[in-house]
Amino acid sequence: MRPIVEFAAVTRAYGARVALDDVHFELLPGELTFLVGPSGAGKTTLLKLINREIRPSSGRLWVAGMPAHQIKASRVAELRRRVGVVFQDYKLLQRLTARENVAFGLQVGDLRVSDEEARDRSLDALEAVGLGDRGDAYPHQLSGGQQQRVAVARAVVGQPQLLIADEPTGNLDQETAWQMMDLFEDIAAWGTAVLVATHNVEIVTRLQRRVLTLVQGRLVRDQPAGRTGRMAWLASS
Amino acid sequence: MAGVLVKGRFPRRRLIQAVATNLVRHLFGGAARSWARNIGSTAPALGSMTLLLLMSGLVGLTGFALHNLEQVESGQASLLHVYLRDDAKPPDVASLWRHLLSDARVAGVTYVNKDQALERAQRIPGLPQLADATESNPFPASLDVQVKKIDDVAAIDALVRYDVAVDPVYPTSYDKGAYQRIQAVLFGTAVAGFALLGLLGFVAVTVTMNSIKAAIHARRDEITIMQLVGAPRWMVRGPFVVEGAITGAVAGVVAGLVTFGLTFAGIAAASGAFTRFAPGVTVTVAAVAAAVVLLVGLGLGSGSSLISLRRHMET
Repeated sequence: MRPIVEFAAVTRAYGARVALDDVHFELLPGELTFLVGPSGAGKTTLLKLINREIRPSSGRLWVAGMPAHQIKASRVAELRRRVGVVFQDYKLLQRLTARENVAFGLQVGDLRVSDEEARDRSLDALEAVGLGDRGDAYPHQLSGGQQQRVAVARAVVGQPQLLIADEPTGNLDQETAWQMMDLFEDIAAWGTAVLVATHNVEIVTRLQRRVLTLVQGRLVRDQPAGRTGRMAWLASS
Repeated sequence: MAGVLVKGRFPRRRLIQAVATNLVRHLFGGAARSWARNIGSTAPALGSMTLLLLMSGLVGLTGFALHNLEQVESGQASLLHVYLRDDAKPPDVASLWRHLLSDARVAGVTYVNKDQALERAQRIPGLPQLADATESNPFPASLDVQVKKIDDVAAIDALVRYDVAVDPVYPTSYDKGAYQRIQAVLFGTAVAGFALLGLLGFVAVTVTMNSIKAAIHARRDEITIMQLVGAPRWMVRGPFVVEGAITGAVAGVVAGLVTFGLTFAGIAAASGAFTRFAPGVTVTVAAVAAAVVLLVGLGLGSGSSLISLRRHMET
């Protein structure tokens, strides 16, 4: 099976400060992986590299078959259409309804999508995240958990090969956070690789999925699913 | 839930219609909405650009008129009037005529008698009163010499000035340096005009760039989302270019209409003076100038937006 993400000796430095140091790993289709580590460990830098918001200082990085370490600026949009992104603060447009937010993500990424198709697909995506009946609600009319679900629907409606989430449960209560994780498991089961950066130790330990641990920019541990023991980074945070 | 989340791709029905609808909505609709929403921050840019375009239109028309005037002056300056004494003998005049015609620097010679000179003078402002003030005809007969090169007029003047048939008091119409003075005035006017336009252009571009910067700031969430969901770069930047073009177009329409209106009113009110002091400036020329002002506005607005985008929008 071809990996969706492949890091090979990737280093990223901001001036003299090394944010990510000689990182190697691969993500396979259908794999739900947690990215953990203390604040400043390099989790966000790693996600930004995958989404080509930044370039690696050295090393090679392949995302959904594209060489993210050397693609031209004109092809970045193509790469991003293969990657869905979910943020801690949802990043929804307040002037659009839930359905319009999802459809917006679909249509600005692909002009060929008609209104009819966008409406049907966004409603399907909202239904899949449990918000089929809230399509006409504006973000301010939804709870934090519901807004995050809309953000997930927007991220997956374009059928990306990879979903990355940066602290998606950071603003959610524990019960809603678990619902969100159920959703990520469902998405992974469908075949999409899912990478979730999180500080939520309880979720990581109970779900027993693969865990990548970053400490001071180095990938210090890569624990396969079912073998996530003590969180090594807790000791160093 | 596996397999439920996203269905298979829909058939691409009415592809062109879908692309056109999305383009209009996101490029033009988004730009128009943003422009209307940010009208407060756009107003200074709109004002300065309107002023610039109006000045450009008027300076352009003035420049066109001055160019035509210069052509007329150039033609007149290379036409040397050799005034004949009232008592000049026909053989002397004929001799002078032949002498001039044989000169390689001369393109042609025309004899103008006193009646024709009077008739011509009556078409020149101020001179009819002078002609009416006296019962006799004060205007001399002349040989009008068309010189091929304006630089040779002085030499021809020197050649005929002391001829026996030529009036010793006012021998010719030659005015040393007159043409050069006209050219110097025109050059100075052009330099001042361009300097003023350059200054206004700088102000307009700077203010428009700032208004686009404000628009980018106001829509930063939308831009971020568009970039992250994989919208092409032109799709993210396009609405701002269109927004700048809208500012330029509105300024261009206002400035173009004012330019056309002022010129039209001027022509209607004093067509004689317009023909004399602004030769070639007609209603058609004014309409063309207005259209050019509109196009310049479009270019200036969208160009300023592009510069601002390059400076203020991350990729």
